[in-house]
Amino acid sequence: MTRLDYRSVAPSGVPGKGSHHPWALALGVAAVMALAGGAPVIAQSPSAGVPQGVPATTLTDDTGTVVTIPSDPARVISLSPAITETAFALGAGDRLVGGTDYDDYPAQAPALPDVATYTGVLMEQVVALEPDLVLAAGNGFTPDADIARMRELGYPVVVLYAEDVDGVMADIRLIGDALGGDADAAAESMAADMAASIERISALAAATGTTPRTFYEIGDQPELYGPAPDSFIEDLVGLAGGDAITTSDPAVFSIPVEQLIVADPEVIVLGDALYGVCPDVVAARPGWADITAVRAGAVRPVNDTVITRPGPRLADGLASLTRAIHPELADELTDFPADPPMCAVAASTAAPSASGSAQP
Amino acid sequence: MVAVGGLVSLGIVVLAGIVLGNVSLPVSDTLAVLGHRLLGLPAGIWPASTETIVVELRLPRVLTAMIVGMGLAVAGTAFQGLLRNPLADPYVLGTASGAALGAAIGVLLPIQVAVLGFGVANALAFCGALAAVAVVYRLSRGSESRSSILLVGYAVGSVLAAGLATAMYLSGDNLRRIVAYLLGSFANASWAQVVVGLPIIVLGTLLILSRARSLDALLLGDDAAAHLGVDVRRERRVLLALAALVTAAAVALAGLIGFVGLIVPHAVRLVVGPSARLVLPLSAVLGAAFMVLADLIARIPGELPVGIVTALIGVPVFLVLLRRSPGAYEL
Repeated sequence: MTRLDYRSVAPSGVPGKGSHHPWALALGVAAVMALAGGAPVIAQSPSAGVPQGVPATTLTDDTGTVVTIPSDPARVISLSPAITETAFALGAGDRLVGGTDYDDYPAQAPALPDVATYTGVLMEQVVALEPDLVLAAGNGFTPDADIARMRELGYPVVVLYAEDVDGVMADIRLIGDALGGDADAAAESMAADMAASIERISALAAATGTTPRTFYEIGDQPELYGPAPDSFIEDLVGLAGGDAITTSDPAVFSIPVEQLIVADPEVIVLGDALYGVCPDVVAARPGWADITAVRAGAVRPVNDTVITRPGPRLADGLASLTRAIHPELADELTDFPADPPMCAVAASTAAPSASGSAQP
Repeated sequence: MVAVGGLVSLGIVVLAGIVLGNVSLPVSDTLAVLGHRLLGLPAGIWPASTETIVVELRLPRVLTAMIVGMGLAVAGTAFQGLLRNPLADPYVLGTASGAALGAAIGVLLPIQVAVLGFGVANALAFCGALAAVAVVYRLSRGSESRSSILLVGYAVGSVLAAGLATAMYLSGDNLRRIVAYLLGSFANASWAQVVVGLPIIVLGTLLILSRARSLDALLLGDDAAAHLGVDVRRERRVLLALAALVTAAAVALAGLIGFVGLIVPHAVRLVVGPSARLVLPLSAVLGAAFMVLADLIARIPGELPVGIVTALIGVPVFLVLLRRSPGAYEL
């Protein structure tokens, strides 16, 4: 079945010897050894960490790694929106030279050069910006391989990860410590203010005397996603005066609908309202009509970004969550920013051709 | 002549891969850095970041792309010849699923060790690929017919794919890392990886190249090959093992990059005919050049997965070649 010429496969004359060419092989082996031996010579290891003569600070990041950084870093890269927000809030925004491509707050943040995308860090961009400090996000948000690579290339990397609400304040202090100068003092007072606000909101919530069973819906495609036990969101819901309904295991983030119906939440908070999941969508889901929250109309959209971002706006986020769980407290929380309009817009566009209302 | 053209285009593509990238650097600086580090020319003045980008990031990345492309193309040629099936690619015997499952397990394990630039996921991907081929070979050893090994390969691949789906389901937050691995990427290429991966792939490729005559003979059928003095059983086993080793190393370095191992050998055959003695070395060169080009295109806008680029460029080029070839060739 081939047009191959038989002559091209004539044996070498010695039966069973096969078709090897030892000289070519030897040449190849020699070339490979030369290349493999030459590689380390070409790549000398880059200088590590802080250059000589520059005042340095040592601190321990959230993974327990001890990192030496310059005391007054002038070129800082942030690898998460929360870190970017914190840096701007501490007055160090002018020292930021790079951020992620999904930074959205404050207004100057999206203009920062993007050095990280959803899939990982753009290493060439990081190197080209010549940072003297990189603030990365832990728990795999910034891929571990990228963190290791940046450290290998000689950049000081501080990894931040807040497991609970107190962790957020600790991270703000850590960022202030890392940024040095005025940012340090600003972080101290910001963390103290946030802690005080959170205390106050939490006390107000506790004073209502009710702790409604609350389901914080994180997503609904392809399965229903909610907070896991011992998670950040469970912590927040507890502080906001709710009794959080969680998934069955800290490593599991999805909850079967039947389990939710049995748990029968009194309040459903829609964290996925930003993706168009609104109270009317929820009420239309099969089997959901008899849930207490749906019958009572206690299905409320919230701005998930502010609530779950471990940054300077956490107290505002907690206030927003508390208003959703305890609407009666709305008057006492007016000093926190109001939520942006959500779902009112979605509701008007839900009826497509009936009204000729203008698209927002 | 084709060989010279191939080598020249490889050279051009490699140079382009070093000079161009996500960050635009002045070409003169890049060439000066290369001259200084590789040829010992006197140092000039350039920013330290340029030197880091060129030597630490781009050079190992281009080298890794070259050896992975070369390895996959040669392994693809070998598998197509061994199985006498034009649709065979390096992943046909469950290698892809085995590597993917190994990598998924590696991502899920709470161990964070990295030796010489290879993490747990890479090592397990390598082992998974080899283990899958070994299992397929063992299971198909009863009958020597070439369709049985393909069917066993498909079956084992399916069961491993189910295992992968389970691992992805249980992965929770880590799903992104598994998917990133599955799409293939050269973003983590480093000198440490080159030092480990290059000897394995290059040696494996050279050994396959040295067996080109056996591959040609096997194309004629087992009986005809035996009459020509080829020890069919031993050569098949050796070629299978070598091709599997090269594929496993390529997958451990860069994840699952499809299309190259399947199409590059065919493209070469459309130009020079089916003789393995010509196709093997030319596939190696063309595979290397193609992969470097694909990686360059993937990284300029900002780290697209390489597998998408290889398919998007490769398919139209291949279809054009196929339409223009004077007559059908047969494998």
